[in-house]
Amino acid sequence: MSRVTIPIGPAHPSLKEPESFNITLEGERIFSAEVKLGYNHRGIEKAAEDRTYIQDIHLIERVCGICSHAHSTAFCMAVEEVAGVTVPPRAQHVRTLVAELERIHSHLLWLGVAGHEIGFDTLLMYTWRDREPVMDLLAMLTGNRVNYGINTLGGVRRDVTPEHLAQVAQVVDVLEQRTLYYAELAETDVTLRQRLSGVGHLSHDDAVRFGAVGPTGRASRIDRDTRRDDPYLAYGQVQFDVITDDHEDVLGRTRVRVKELLQAYRIIRQVIATMPDGPLTVKVPRKIRAGEAIVRYEAPRGENLHYVRANGTDRPERVKVRAPTLANTAAVAKMMEENYLADVPIIVAAIDPCFSCTDRALRVNADGASEVLSWRELRARGIERYRREGVDFGDLNARLSRQLSARKG
Amino acid sequence: MSSSLLSLVYVIALPGFLCVGGLAMQFLDRKVYARLQHRAGPPWFQPVADSLKLLTKEEIVPDGADALLFRAVPLVALTSAATAFFYVPLWGQHALFAFEGDLVVVLYLLTIPPLCFFLGGWFSTSLFATIGSVRTLTSLFAYEVPLFIALVGPAMLAGSWSLSGMTVYYAAHPLRPLANLLGFAVALVALLGKLEKAPFDIPEAETELAGGTLTEYSGKLLALFRMTLDVEAVVAAALLSAVFLPWGLGLWWPLAWALSAVKIVAVIALLALARTIFARMRLEQMVLFCWRWLAPAALVQLVITVVLNGVLPP
Amino acid sequence: MADASSTPAVPHPLAEALAARFPALAGEVTSPRARRLFAEPAPEAFREVFDFAVAELGFDRLVAITGMDEKTSLVALYALSRPDGTVLGLRRRVPREAPALASVTDRFPGAANYERELDDLLGFEVTDLPPGKRYPLPDDWPKDEKPLRKDWKPGSPA
Repeated sequence: MSRVTIPIGPAHPSLKEPESFNITLEGERIFSAEVKLGYNHRGIEKAAEDRTYIQDIHLIERVCGICSHAHSTAFCMAVEEVAGVTVPPRAQHVRTLVAELERIHSHLLWLGVAGHEIGFDTLLMYTWRDREPVMDLLAMLTGNRVNYGINTLGGVRRDVTPEHLAQVAQVVDVLEQRTLYYAELAETDVTLRQRLSGVGHLSHDDAVRFGAVGPTGRASRIDRDTRRDDPYLAYGQVQFDVITDDHEDVLGRTRVRVKELLQAYRIIRQVIATMPDGPLTVKVPRKIRAGEAIVRYEAPRGENLHYVRANGTDRPERVKVRAPTLANTAAVAKMMEENYLADVPIIVAAIDPCFSCTDRALRVNADGASEVLSWRELRARGIERYRREGVDFGDLNARLSRQLSARKG
Repeated sequence: MSSSLLSLVYVIALPGFLCVGGLAMQFLDRKVYARLQHRAGPPWFQPVADSLKLLTKEEIVPDGADALLFRAVPLVALTSAATAFFYVPLWGQHALFAFEGDLVVVLYLLTIPPLCFFLGGWFSTSLFATIGSVRTLTSLFAYEVPLFIALVGPAMLAGSWSLSGMTVYYAAHPLRPLANLLGFAVALVALLGKLEKAPFDIPEAETELAGGTLTEYSGKLLALFRMTLDVEAVVAAALLSAVFLPWGLGLWWPLAWALSAVKIVAVIALLALARTIFARMRLEQMVLFCWRWLAPAALVQLVITVVLNGVLPP
Repeated sequence: MADASSTPAVPHPLAEALAARFPALAGEVTSPRARRLFAEPAPEAFREVFDFAVAELGFDRLVAITGMDEKTSLVALYALSRPDGTVLGLRRRVPREAPALASVTDRFPGAANYERELDDLLGFEVTDLPPGKRYPLPDDWPKDEKPLRKDWKPGSPA
């Protein structure tokens, strides 16, 4: 059969951000795949050298829309290490709390995207509905749904109240039930298994050779998690399991992520229970003494590396960010071998590449004047509309938590 | 004379009715799908608004495409899907037109739209559309045979190759359609392939092929193709309910009409349910599934029919 | 970080292992905090030290390569990690006029992207790279514009 090369990307419905895959097909089978990246280069590393450390936090936070906390925390940790300051325990706990909430929202988002890529939109709708309470929690704790802006050099910018923590605990209880349901779904649903099992195979040796990180690596039996191996924040003080899987395929990556959700709930409960009192920040000098630091951070997508080199001024000499996706793309071409065209979207999605979103909307009035809706108004409108249509999420969540407390009682 | 005049009225009025029905069923499908996913779903006029929007858009014919064929195939597809409707009895035991063998004609007419999708995709010379059309054709070979065998069963039992003749037979023996339930299940599944709905929406899998077969279609031509799918859904649902659920067509005609509508709605709702609970299959998985499970099941139905034909009194 | 402050008094066992194999590195391996090691082998010994760390000391993953412009020379910092969480930063210094660098893709195929980045952003001349497109700059970006060099300032092209 003659070979056809089809372009997936840089703009394609299955990709949420620009990257390009040239897939050479023999019939429906993939003969070879070529990956081209770099459509999103924004020169952030160069820009960081021209800004102060405080400005850089906000710049670095915008490296990624989903794991923004991962990047800003890693950057702050690197600068704090060079400056030789110790972040107060309460701030460490708050950072950990936000980090794990971020992992939950990222993994739930991934599960939905994975469902969409294999033409299973129901899963998308379910998981994104469940993700919404997490976004609400993050908004409650930090003031923002994405790009939380909670970090500052030497600590965090906002305190958490006991009421906040109680609400987090309540949502986590509900989400755990839902996640157990998804775990069951991943094991039992026939079409889901058909589409995931055996797809995008990456053997343990290849995963090591290509340097796969995060859930992608752990699904190929790479037993590594920076949170355990190189503890940072409050991870040294909490108990959790590093999830690995021996499927070495997309199904394995799904199982790892679903089980990591359960571990995230576990971590959050411990963080809430052991939340120490004390100050939120320590003073960090404006000018950072010369030095360098390598910080690794287990982002939802895998190991993040930040390198910061200071030169004694208030601006960094060099900032290097290596996001997990870059480490994982090397393995993507390998994963695609011997698969079908239909598997391309899910294989690409299974390493969980990043994309960002925005949280404001523009409404044009009848007289042509425009008005920016606040997030709260927009959300209230959405909830009101759904309530009119007979779908009430508040009610749904309340029902679920009632069921849960009934079961506990 | 007056009856042929009446027929003329029907011939003119029915396609319009069919398009309205198609849009209504599209709405139903989307609403059921949405509610099963905890969404509000579209308002009732959304399908109309979508179609009107498409009709006002510019239509673009790719440079490499055969302009005449590119424009003609959507029309042929819609026409053949609509024509099949004339042979399906809906408000009485006799359809608008009926002759011995019209079942075969209906099946033939319902095969034309997928072929048109293939041709449209093939002639638009886009990579995505070409792969989509190959997929359309491959899945056609997978679901068409089980669908045909499943529909042949009831016809053999009734001893008639006319839909109207079958209706008359089953009205006389109201319990005998129950023998065809397996065939009904097979036909329902095969219909998912014909209507390109999940888990068999492989030809237009947007996450792989952008728009699949219809990638290059826009404006009125795309609206025609979409309308074809909607009309095809109604016709196929009507066909299935006439063949497998033939009860109540002897009633007073408005009642029979209403009953048919209920059956069509039920079939569409079942298809929407299937679309909700399954992930999209891969092409090779679908072909395997159709030949390993669907076709044998249809053959079992045929065997049941043959045995019953020997056992039951005529 | 509680342990971020100073070099511990007790030498790191891995630092000792490196120094035992490469006497030139004795006392040159710094450990600014727990699980962090930095060293700068002589350019001609670099690959040998690199291979030794990977094969003998268990640094089995290349985490990233960071390129830096240090005025007279360019530096590539190879961050290697071990399963126990230790990270070794190996510095490779090249003269600014002739910034040639041998690829490590024979050992880590995933390093290709990092090395292309060194080329695109800092102007390293990486040899033995597998064929592939440039990364991360656009295809029409001028070949001699290296944005991460200190003397490169953002602005509209001439």
